Amino acid sequence: MGVNYQTVLWNRNKKIYDRWIGLSMLIYLISFIGLTFITNVQTSVETLIIRAFGTLAIVLLHIILVIGPLSRINTRFLPLLYNRRHLGVSMFLAALIHGGFSLFQFHTLGNVNPIYALFSSNMDYNSLKNFPFQVLGFFALIILFLMAATSHDFWLKNLSAKSWKRLHMMVYFAYALIIMHVFLGSFQQQPSLWSTAILSFGFVVITALHISTGSKERKLDHIKTTDTNEGWDYVCDIDEIPEDRAKIFIVDNERIAVFKYNNKLSAISNVCKHQGGPLGEGKVVDGCVTCPWHGYQYLPHNGQSPPPFTEQVSTYRLKLIDKKVYVSPKALPEGTEVDPVIFNN
Amino acid sequence: MLIIIEIFVNLLLGYFIFGLLFGIYFFIKGAFKLDELIIESKWTVRLLLLPGAIGLWPLLLMKIIRKTTTK
Repeated sequence: MGVNYQTVLWNRNKKIYDRWIGLSMLIYLISFIGLTFITNVQTSVETLIIRAFGTLAIVLLHIILVIGPLSRINTRFLPLLYNRRHLGVSMFLAALIHGGFSLFQFHTLGNVNPIYALFSSNMDYNSLKNFPFQVLGFFALIILFLMAATSHDFWLKNLSAKSWKRLHMMVYFAYALIIMHVFLGSFQQQPSLWSTAILSFGFVVITALHISTGSKERKLDHIKTTDTNEGWDYVCDIDEIPEDRAKIFIVDNERIAVFKYNNKLSAISNVCKHQGGPLGEGKVVDGCVTCPWHGYQYLPHNGQSPPPFTEQVSTYRLKLIDKKVYVSPKALPEGTEVDPVIFNN
Repeated sequence: MLIIIEIFVNLLLGYFIFGLLFGIYFFIKGAFKLDELIIESKWTVRLLLLPGAIGLWPLLLMKIIRKTTTK
């Protein structure tokens, strides 16, 4: 959302979050290295770096994957979602250091290309038990690279929101590869009950949270309006919508958000143009509907981002009969001005 | 199997070498052709976009060609 691109979109809050990310990563690395030195003095520096950054990347990936569902369950997690992008890039950098050092330590000493050595040093591709786990990590790193490299808003605009989202949904494939990479690596090199248990716990938590929020979303999609009035669908009573907030409904198979603000009602598409965030879960701030995910804004009466910004969403006509709110199910073209319904308290 | 690995690794290297060359073009000229907002943006933005351009060069090349031919 802008008339030009910023290198990094920093504001005061983002800087604070980024400092916390950096500090937490540092504390984790120091603790890991300290504990390893205490428990296993013989560990080489290279191995220590590989393990410290590898485990750090996995911890960060788990945090990244739980932020989405957690913020759907509880809005207190939304600030984390707002800052997830920098966490993702940090996770990739940790994974890159892990992968880079592994490649350097195990595959650069011969006289063949290190990438070729990575793929050919263990040829047990037909074995489940001895499958070359490094290959799985390599492909996961490629996916994480593409995601981190396209995390800037430029890519979101120029790849289209749909393609960008598809690319970034590959994080789940990368996660599956990483889980297999770690399980196989641990099994083949140094079986550890602790690491297996912790990773299994993380997998269960992530899966449970996604199933839980997914079923909540599906329930919302199956709520159909039954009461109609000359082609208008009844959605709710006006008192059911909190001030400066919205209620979300499914009308004509589309999610719409009906906002109440300054004794007015307006309805717009629930899907933010930025990353498909749920506008109906946001607030009206300074007269603009503000997406809870990344703060993109739209004017409620025309679905347009305030000038000079150019994003637009569909709008819907509303009418009020007594206290009942009705919506016309036909979406108007994006950015169409619709007079808000005015009511008296 | 070793032949498959060799072909795959060579293709991968070729992809990224071409990506690097495209990335240089993208930094100097290509980004401007794709998005007008780049004109008003600092050069550091294009530098930050470089890894993405290297990774997704076939897609970007197609987009730039399409945009240039439809003008």
